[in-house]
Amino acid sequence: MRPPALSAWCGCGTPNTRRPELNASKPGNLRPPALEIEGLQVGYSNGAGAVTALEIEHMSVPPGTLLAVTGPSGSGKSTFLYAIGGLLRPRRGRVLWDTRDILGETETARDRWRRHTVGFAFQDFHLLPELTPLQNVLLPASFERFTAARAVRERARALLDQLSVPQARASTASLSRGEQQRVAIARALLFDPPVILADEPTASLDAKAGAVVIDILMQLSSRDGRTVIAISHDQELLKQFARIVALDHGRMSDEERRAAS
Amino acid sequence: MNPFLVVRATIARHRWTYLLFTLLVAVATAIGVAITTQEAALRIGSARAADKFDLMVAAPGSETDVVLAAIYLRPGTVPLLDPAMVGKVLAEPRAKISAPLGFGDNIGGSPIVGTVPAFADYLSGGLSEGRVFAAEGEAVAGAAAGVAMGETFRPDHGRNPFLEAGTGRVQHPQTLTVVGRMKPTGTPWDNSVIVPIEFVWRVHGLPTGHAEGESRIGPPFDAARVPGVPAIVIKPETINAAYGLRNLYRTPLSMAFFPAEALVRIYEVLGDIRELMGWLALATQGLVVIAMLAGVMAILTLHRRQFAVLRALGAPRLYIFLCVWTQIAVIAVAGALAGLLLGAGAAVLVSHMITRATGIVLPAQIGPDEWLLVGGMIAFGLLVATVPAFVSYRRSVIQSLTAQ
Repeated sequence: MRPPALSAWCGCGTPNTRRPELNASKPGNLRPPALEIEGLQVGYSNGAGAVTALEIEHMSVPPGTLLAVTGPSGSGKSTFLYAIGGLLRPRRGRVLWDTRDILGETETARDRWRRHTVGFAFQDFHLLPELTPLQNVLLPASFERFTAARAVRERARALLDQLSVPQARASTASLSRGEQQRVAIARALLFDPPVILADEPTASLDAKAGAVVIDILMQLSSRDGRTVIAISHDQELLKQFARIVALDHGRMSDEERRAAS
Repeated sequence: MNPFLVVRATIARHRWTYLLFTLLVAVATAIGVAITTQEAALRIGSARAADKFDLMVAAPGSETDVVLAAIYLRPGTVPLLDPAMVGKVLAEPRAKISAPLGFGDNIGGSPIVGTVPAFADYLSGGLSEGRVFAAEGEAVAGAAAGVAMGETFRPDHGRNPFLEAGTGRVQHPQTLTVVGRMKPTGTPWDNSVIVPIEFVWRVHGLPTGHAEGESRIGPPFDAARVPGVPAIVIKPETINAAYGLRNLYRTPLSMAFFPAEALVRIYEVLGDIRELMGWLALATQGLVVIAMLAGVMAILTLHRRQFAVLRALGAPRLYIFLCVWTQIAVIAVAGALAGLLLGAGAAVLVSHMITRATGIVLPAQIGPDEWLLVGGMIAFGLLVATVPAFVSYRRSVIQSLTAQ
């Protein structure tokens, strides 16, 4: 299966400067679940007593939403992302993806759900630099099977092509930071998840590489219909998002809704 | 589930550290393997060398000294058996062979040993070329002795091959001619030159066990004309005879013993040393594993965020457990197998050196004990690996993701 031809992004024609164009493997079939948060409280003990890291009484995110979460350091942004990603146990409350209370499920069930429903992208990419880009993208497949199925391998290659990552490189370490973030996004998309959770995806990139990543995230939402929830301080990124939630001291302090530009 | 991608990447990232851990495990294993292999080789080689020496009769004293002098041909002072006893033992009717052993000379470093023709033939199990000596001036060379067939030479007095003429070197006037060569026996006797006992007695100015002017060699001997000897080897007619003769010659003037008895005592000491060294090797292995564990734990702490990211990507806890466990398992297995080869190599090298020095062929071979040791090391490593694996398995994803 060959990837579709790439359109020129800046007109320079080199693979690294082309605008990546993403195709979902099942166009039109992606039906992201709606997110409902009810009475969620996440806390921890710091020795001096209980600290509330996040408290959201109610929040609703319809399928396909492009949501940015912003706020100062320590405001609970990451906790929010990890909570809706099913990575922690709250003191109370529910995180419903459609009707599924993900935080109430067993760890095994949450792992599997995360693998197939949520794609995580991180500020520092967290790739294994010793592996090839393709091996990095295929890493989530190794959680389930000893050898990735042929279709999965083909999808991984197609994703790298679509995201303009040079696959000939033996080592991921030799890629530029922008390319590495695109490998990380390809890894998040391996199982074609309907939800993308991104933690400061452009924070460690220069403006040009950041713009490419922003463009990819836009495509994932507007073209493929995915729900994209990103933590960011990047004004360029925030400008593109239809909904922005500000957190402060673990609580929603502001919310802005607008038509996506 | 396939943790090998992560394992490969982690090992590649810390390849020098992991190589060091593997080498440490290899050296610790090799020490244990070399000790057990060498000890077994010593037992087998020394027992094989004593195989043809059924019963020894010697003057009262140290059985070990007699074994070292008569079987392993080590230079040493052994008191001579009383001539009256020598005459009696050499005439023993229940012995198939009653062979006196006489030492004291060498040719080019090869000890010259006097005995009877039957023993030379018995010791070799048939010659590889030529024939057994039939006259006083004839000799049979050991398989590795540095004298050629047909060569005639004058033996040097004493056992020191490095004395030059004019510096204390004394050559006997009588000559010996090599008429036969023994098959290899894997014993110090391979380097010896075996001659009629009468020749040894004659060159040292002693009676030759026969009447004046009589030139024949071998039994029967005239009991009144035999001098003292360091030891007599008896090959008894039967097992019962062996025990009977041992009791018979345990007298105030003589001691009789099976060399195996003396070897068992030597092996007991050897076994104690082996046990001590075995414990030391085990302690070394334990320390190495603990050091490796501490090192791996430090590396895993560096990687805790990476594992947390894998969890965020959907990796089950078991996957993280396997990633950590497999890394340590790779070190344990690779180190133990490398240690097996290293230990076997060291044992072969030491055996070769001992063979060169003593002539005793030591068969250093990997046996069940060594496999057990290596298996134990691997099993211990795999078991110990569960500790950091479990720590990583239990580690909080959130704390690891938010850790700086």
